[in-house]
Amino acid sequence: MFLLPRGNPLFENLAASKLKLPEVMSKLSTGSFTGYASFNFQSTTVILVFESGKLVSALLEEGNGNRQTGFEAMSALVQLMIASGSGTLNVYKLSKDLTMCIHALLQGEILYKAQELKLIDIKMLLEKIRTDHMNGCLRIYTQDRSAMIFYKDGNPLGFFHDGSHDIETSSTESQKIAGLPGAKIDLYSTQGVEELMGMDLLEVVNLQKIWDTASTRHQVELDKISNESKERDIKAAERKLSDLEEQVKNIVIEYVGKIGRGIVEKELANQGGNACLKDEAASARFIADIERSAKLLISSTKTKIMLEKLSAAIATAMSEF
Amino acid sequence: MEQFIELLNQLQPLSLIQVILWGFAGAMSFYFSLGNARVWTSISIGFFLVFLSQAYQLNPLAESYYKLSAFHYIIGTVAIMVITHGFLEYYVFCRTFEISGKKAVVYLVTFLILVASGIFLIVNPAPSPNTIRNIKMVENAIWVFLSFMNIELIRKIYSSIKDSAISKGFIAFGIVFLCIFLWKGSELYLQVFQWDKEWMEIVTLTGEDSDIALYPGRVQFSQMVSQYAGLLSSISVSGTFIYLYRLLK
Repeated sequence: MFLLPRGNPLFENLAASKLKLPEVMSKLSTGSFTGYASFNFQSTTVILVFESGKLVSALLEEGNGNRQTGFEAMSALVQLMIASGSGTLNVYKLSKDLTMCIHALLQGEILYKAQELKLIDIKMLLEKIRTDHMNGCLRIYTQDRSAMIFYKDGNPLGFFHDGSHDIETSSTESQKIAGLPGAKIDLYSTQGVEELMGMDLLEVVNLQKIWDTASTRHQVELDKISNESKERDIKAAERKLSDLEEQVKNIVIEYVGKIGRGIVEKELANQGGNACLKDEAASARFIADIERSAKLLISSTKTKIMLEKLSAAIATAMSEF
Repeated sequence: MEQFIELLNQLQPLSLIQVILWGFAGAMSFYFSLGNARVWTSISIGFFLVFLSQAYQLNPLAESYYKLSAFHYIIGTVAIMVITHGFLEYYVFCRTFEISGKKAVVYLVTFLILVASGIFLIVNPAPSPNTIRNIKMVENAIWVFLSFMNIELIRKIYSSIKDSAISKGFIAFGIVFLCIFLWKGSELYLQVFQWDKEWMEIVTLTGEDSDIALYPGRVQFSQMVSQYAGLLSSISVSGTFIYLYRLLK
């Protein structure tokens, strides 16, 4: 995405995930805002251009260069705000003329695209811009640097280049870049301010409905993820309990023989299943029951050692739950 | 005291040793029952009762009081029933891993049965020598049947716990019941064919005929089996409880 002049910053670095787009749009619209709002997400930038509170253009550009405009861009922005959980909003107030130029840059008619400067007569082009009373933006750039000249009715409004924040009156940087080898130009034109005022995306897009639908869908997805996560947690806990049960069985079998498996299964069933191993009181009762059975099969010394092993295994597992 | 000494003089040395050994087995089994689970209580109390049933041979009053003599045999019957109850509980534990009940109940129920038996003897007329012999025959029949049943129970218990430390103790119990089966079985055999000592005493009193002279070999062999198997029973019970005590210590 191009760097754009900042003009007069109204808001900077607002957390986009905490905002509701319909409310933001409503505020900018009712405040007859002129300028642009820039939403910056991890790999996506959305620019909304306003003229006297009317949303005249919406452009979304992804990191890979893919672009969406209008309704698609607004829908995608809603999704990003609701789902991404990150992103910032910057709002810059600009003059009407400069805003028009920004619109031209973003969504204007492309008259030249990546035209090598040495292959065209730049003086003739500038003359044509002037004589055609063109509104728009001329972008001059190389691999590393770029500058923009904004026009209204064929007259330059100002100059903007990488590294600066605002419109400048000096054309020095633009001329320098134009003089670099391999310099190219893009030329975008747009309608005048009055014509632009005739369109308002907010009138054709039911933003509140898009927002509500997306919110509901997102909530459903969140619930689904939450349920899946809970199920995963439950399954993980069940797996841990099964592992612990097997460990307990192996310890008892080691001391009392194969009959130990049945004893453990029966005593666990008496305590309401292997979940009792998570509960301190229930696991103590379970160990006492195992002791009672073991006394019929092995010596008290071996029973004591076995119970110590059981308690240690259960305590270790409990600390992991 | 004089009566007791006279009784000792009348006793065969082998019978006296047998009673003493049963006394030791009874003491061992009773001691074993004190610190162990209820299942062992039934078994050990039962073997202790065997000693009480055998002790009639040392009881100077038993000869004079037939009711007391009968009571000794009833104790013997209760003994094998309590032992069988213990093995049955152990078998149930091996199959279901279920342990229920309290030790006190075993002591109490055994005591109540003995009291009831005593009352039964008190309220009935004094038993004749023939009646006492019948009671002894019933006792032997129950011992033979339940010994056989216990051998089968022990076999099943052993197959369930054969990889446990205590499993060899059950092999020892198997040997105990094999000895008891021979001991009581040979006595029952003699009683059924009326070749036993008590019948001979009755014959002397009543003047009835006896065919004992026709089968001296069988009678002698059965008497010998009864004496030695009885002796081995008491020795094997003592040895088994000592072995179990060491296993479960």
